[in-house]
Amino acid sequence: MNPTTSTITILSLGLGTTLTFIGSHWLLIWMGLEINTLAIIPMMIHQHHPRAVEATTKYFITQASASALLLFASVTNAWTTGQWNLTELLNPTSATLTTIALALKIGLAPLHFWLPEVLQGLDLITGLILSTWQKLAPFAILLQLYPLLNPNLLTLLGILSTIIGGWGGLNQTQLRKILAYSSIANLGWMIIILHYNPNLTQLNLILYIIMTLTTFLLFNTFNSTKINSIASSSSKSPLLSIMALMTLLSLGGLPPLSGFMPKWLILQELTKQNLIIPATIMAITALLSLFFYLRLSYTTTLTMNPNPLNMSSSWRTKTINPNLLLTMMASLSILLLPLTPAIITTIM
Amino acid sequence: MLKILLPTIMLFPTTWLVSKKWLWPTSLGHSLIIALLSLSWFKWNSDISWDFSNQYLAIDPLSAPLLVLTCWLLPLMILASQNHITPEPIIRQRTYITLLISLQMFLILAFSATEMIMFYIMFEATLIPTLIIITRWGNQTERLNAGIYFLFYTLIGSLPLLIALLALQNNSGTLSMMIMQYSQPSELLLWADKFWWMACIMAFLVKMPLYGVHLWLPKAHVEAPIAGSMVLAAILLKLGGYGMMRIIVMLNPLTKEMAYPFMILAIWGIIMTSSICLRQTDLKSLIAYSSVSHMGLVAGAILIQTPWSFAGAITLMIAHGLISSALFCLANTNYERIHSRTLLLARGIQVALPLMATWWFLTNLANLALPPTPNLMGELLIISSLFNWSNWTITLTGLGVLITASYSLYMFLMTQRGPTQSHITSFNPSYTREHLLLTLHLTPMFLLILKPELIMGWT
Repeated sequence: MNPTTSTITILSLGLGTTLTFIGSHWLLIWMGLEINTLAIIPMMIHQHHPRAVEATTKYFITQASASALLLFASVTNAWTTGQWNLTELLNPTSATLTTIALALKIGLAPLHFWLPEVLQGLDLITGLILSTWQKLAPFAILLQLYPLLNPNLLTLLGILSTIIGGWGGLNQTQLRKILAYSSIANLGWMIIILHYNPNLTQLNLILYIIMTLTTFLLFNTFNSTKINSIASSSSKSPLLSIMALMTLLSLGGLPPLSGFMPKWLILQELTKQNLIIPATIMAITALLSLFFYLRLSYTTTLTMNPNPLNMSSSWRTKTINPNLLLTMMASLSILLLPLTPAIITTIM
Repeated sequence: MLKILLPTIMLFPTTWLVSKKWLWPTSLGHSLIIALLSLSWFKWNSDISWDFSNQYLAIDPLSAPLLVLTCWLLPLMILASQNHITPEPIIRQRTYITLLISLQMFLILAFSATEMIMFYIMFEATLIPTLIIITRWGNQTERLNAGIYFLFYTLIGSLPLLIALLALQNNSGTLSMMIMQYSQPSELLLWADKFWWMACIMAFLVKMPLYGVHLWLPKAHVEAPIAGSMVLAAILLKLGGYGMMRIIVMLNPLTKEMAYPFMILAIWGIIMTSSICLRQTDLKSLIAYSSVSHMGLVAGAILIQTPWSFAGAITLMIAHGLISSALFCLANTNYERIHSRTLLLARGIQVALPLMATWWFLTNLANLALPPTPNLMGELLIISSLFNWSNWTITLTGLGVLITASYSLYMFLMTQRGPTQSHITSFNPSYTREHLLLTLHLTPMFLLILKPELIMGWT
């Protein structure tokens, strides 16, 4: 992309999220979300091939509907309560509509249908921005609104998301769709605890962003978008494929990796609130996602040359050099669990 | 405590920084020194209290034998893997030894943990190095399926355990084992409490394994390389037994009624799995099913919670750990020579490897619980306490002992006696390393004949 265009696009992305963060008037918040949507459209479509165009169109339509629904909710609230303040969303209809609109924005089940197809149409870096940066603004709204939202709706969204994220990812061979379903499942974990302890939502969001950053950057470094092509990663860079194994297991939530931390703390909070059955359902459906992470890590790291049964040989056009961001995020996504007491006392 | 843990952690840099020529001698030597130091854990000052403790780790007579076994096993694993790992590139050799050391570290932390959540995290943490050892260094295609079965069976049992522990912390305020032993047994009357009981126990029963949920074990043991099989058989199964012994004190009085289905599965499983051993064609599979059979006895003993049964359970766990690991090493000596696990392909080995036949003989005698081995002491205590619990169990456990003797003898006679196979023309003679390995397995067993109180726990 032309440097001027990419500067404008990236700065607008930053502007949109910042507007949503600092806004307390509903119109400003809605504006920030719309700026985010519009800013990422050029990034998504700049390669012009039909799949990218289709993904961009689907993204635009869903996000525009979500923003329209959000605007409708805030206008209804303004009509019935007479003010536009973010934290005084007192009309219960408006609160429910806001929840549903934001669920459509971030891709929670049952409003998740756009996410795998959109993510599949993008290249890895744009997909990374879609999965991580675009989640920040809606969560900023949710984290401020948490006492006003309906806990039953949030629990339903959470459980559905983990179930659909787990089951949907099982039949996928494209890495971006796998990451889309992993995103849906992780968002389920984040949303279920929102009403009881929003700090845990925030912690889970940050850790999810770190782990997803690592995964996307790893796939980008290996230049692979399918399970076939990631199978040759251990011959390209054995060290990075070991990091891929650890990161995937961390996404699956296995102790002693740092992906276990949010799951543990969320289960603890759910148990304290006497929501034992939702807690058990969440824990067991996490095993579904673990299955496709494990299968991915089998092809990436644990089966090796000279037995590349499902590997397609590829031209190696660039040397593999892990950059600083990848290594930093990889270390964080593997080793953070012993710091849990420090993290808890800092954020709660 | 830290004098063992910190040297174990420092084995990591040792493995990565030592030169290629000295990798195996160094790792072996240092882990042997750590094993020697760990023997100091056997000196405890009073019968039932915690020793060597700091704020997070402590040792009591239940965990001390398991900890010493863990530390003892690492040099044995390194010794056993030396032959088949040495041809690989040096970095993969270092990675393999690092995985073994990390298993040791997690196991030490698991057995000496004083808080149940720490125990849980370390219990789960042992899954990852074992999974990597099985799926990366195993030899057949089935190892991938074995890894999936291993991971998912264990996790389906242990995720409800996590929730049950968090619920217990909510109700009783603490999960420290030191305090839990003094807490009042709570009233457990509702259906939800029955589910809580099951959630606490199932993880350990799957790990032990109990007969109905044992399917992961033959797969994992068979597909793992020798060090993986050794650590699985000797220690990882005992994690289940140890965890069950720790948690079951909190689960009274519900255990009296709820234990019945699991007792049935455990005791019936002894018969079933030992009978399957008589029909196995795969040598490692035979040893794996024999593990299920012995651990069925242990599971039944822990569920009835009497002093004799607990003593028998720990004794059998330690003795079975040593002997099962020795049997896998013996099977590995066959595998390294003919690259097949089929029992029929390596018959009459006594003619080719006479001294190895001695080790086969002694190990099989210990496996069938010959007096005066600690295996017998454990089995006798367990069978007597089961008889006290219900007179009818003696039929099943007695039959189980009989079938155990049959398949142990069958294993010995098939591999050692009989006509030597004519297709085996060149059989490497036994290495000194293999003899050392088996001596290091059997010597502790002989020494334990002289002082079995070390492994009998609280009594």
